[in-house]
Amino acid sequence: MSDAETPDSDTHSHADHADHEHGVSGPGYTTPAAMRTESGREQTAFVMGLRVGMDVDGPDFVGVVDVDPDSPTYAELIDTVEMPNKGDELHHFGWNACSSSCHAEGMARDHLIVPGQRSSRIHILDASDPRELSIEKVIEPEEVFEHDLSAPHTVHCVPGGKIVISMLGNSDGELPGGFLQLDQEDFSIDGHWETDLGEMEMNYDYWYQPRHNVMISSEWAAPKTYYPGFDLDDVEAGKYGDSIHIWNWETREHEATLTFGEEGLIPLEVRMSHNPEETQGYVGAALSSNVIRFFEEEGGWDWEVVIDLDSRDHPDWDMPVPPLITDLLVSLDDQYLFFANWLHGDVRMYDVSDSANPRLVDRVWAGGNFGDRQEVAGHEIHGAPQMLQLSRDGKRLYWTTSLFSSWDNQFYPEIGEHGSLMLKADVYPDEGRMELDEEFVVDFGDAPGGPARAHEIRWPGGDCTSDVWQ
Amino acid sequence: MLGQDGGGETHAVSLRWRDGREESLSVGPDETVVDAAGAAGVGLPYGCLYGACGTCTGKLLSGDVEHAAEPRALKPRHRDVGYVLLCLAEPRSACRIEVGARVQADLVPNPWK
Repeated sequence: MSDAETPDSDTHSHADHADHEHGVSGPGYTTPAAMRTESGREQTAFVMGLRVGMDVDGPDFVGVVDVDPDSPTYAELIDTVEMPNKGDELHHFGWNACSSSCHAEGMARDHLIVPGQRSSRIHILDASDPRELSIEKVIEPEEVFEHDLSAPHTVHCVPGGKIVISMLGNSDGELPGGFLQLDQEDFSIDGHWETDLGEMEMNYDYWYQPRHNVMISSEWAAPKTYYPGFDLDDVEAGKYGDSIHIWNWETREHEATLTFGEEGLIPLEVRMSHNPEETQGYVGAALSSNVIRFFEEEGGWDWEVVIDLDSRDHPDWDMPVPPLITDLLVSLDDQYLFFANWLHGDVRMYDVSDSANPRLVDRVWAGGNFGDRQEVAGHEIHGAPQMLQLSRDGKRLYWTTSLFSSWDNQFYPEIGEHGSLMLKADVYPDEGRMELDEEFVVDFGDAPGGPARAHEIRWPGGDCTSDVWQ
Repeated sequence: MLGQDGGGETHAVSLRWRDGREESLSVGPDETVVDAAGAAGVGLPYGCLYGACGTCTGKLLSGDVEHAAEPRALKPRHRDVGYVLLCLAEPRSACRIEVGARVQADLVPNPWK
């Protein structure tokens, strides 16, 4: 039975995959192709909604957006689950289980792990009914600080009944951070995932490829550096990252550092190929505005810049403005790479079927400092393309326009007053093009309780930015 | 009045938003401005609550405060001109403080503009 036949629930149930090749049922899909072709169209989206750094006196929330075009509430925020405290800065979030645990009997993809970037508080939400989210457990900041960690970022479930969260700081908001491990059963803290930090001094995002025993992590900066805003003095002082780290996935030891220098300043999101046989991936260097490909060759890891974008002169600004690549993702068939240029205002689509030679095939402008289009369906665009999420079939690209509260307030201060948007483009993978959907807009400025920032997006049933295949 | 621990005093703190709104708080000994505002039902922006993130940045217009821990989110140039972190700031006299989310945005301007 496919999800498309169960319009009331797009959560993936055990029954859906009783025919797994190993005879056990789990929460995910055996291959990326199975997820792409069998999972059905997304019907609801979970979207982070934030009030941090705004004069709206309320907590952040996880919003539920109706993305089913046949529904009377299509493109509306149909529910918001407010956090118990203010000031969390919900940012990225993830599932308790994904395709990497698809052979684990008894597992279900039914809980969202929702960390607060600023508060270091970690919320566990029961998402077994995607339209009735509820908070099940809260791990308070003090419990996290006990492990000398803060600033939780990327959440992945990992094989073996665990959840690993990249942490950007120590308990004072200083370097180096590390990785916090939770138990999948009761969501208690195990402690650090890593046995050896090696040369890792900064942390941000990570991805793993279990078949090749590797994990790759990237670098933003110390929380006390990036939390208050982006200061070029900090870049000049070497306080921002320029490297990625190669880890032994089994022994949890740091093995190597790939240092990019000027060509790879502030490497943020890491996306490896979905095909678990591949040993390569991409990282977007936000400040250098390069896409860097990393790959294994003769037993070692190497890198090359495969996309290099230019800064542009802005008539009202003193210095050429970099595009600032803040998010990127790869379609489930590994054919297309999409990324967002948050300071310029475009989202780009590259054909990466020849992975070392990406070919620009299309782009959409929406908001930003250079875009012609500053309005969609009567809603003024505050911010620019930022966090991306692609439908599993690769035909719809959604994005939100807020980056991070203090950076929003610096570069797009209107977000702080009016909130930000969720937008969408229709993608035509066979033709290699995409088109802004002029009808679809979810205005978080109209969120119940006052305007909010919109950040990361996830689908019930799994995402191309969180599932990993064993 | 004398505090129960440490001999501190309760101080009157006047909060001003840029839109003209004003509120008055009474902040007890060894109490931070964010805690006192929370107890009084006055909403102030905050984030980490330990001085790393700067979300609660206010500007001290008059009076004295002491930070209960190192205000890591503030650089020397910020502290020199009176920015304080209200999640750590304990008044040592009557104070007037500019508050609201837009104060934090003063700390770091757009570097390309």
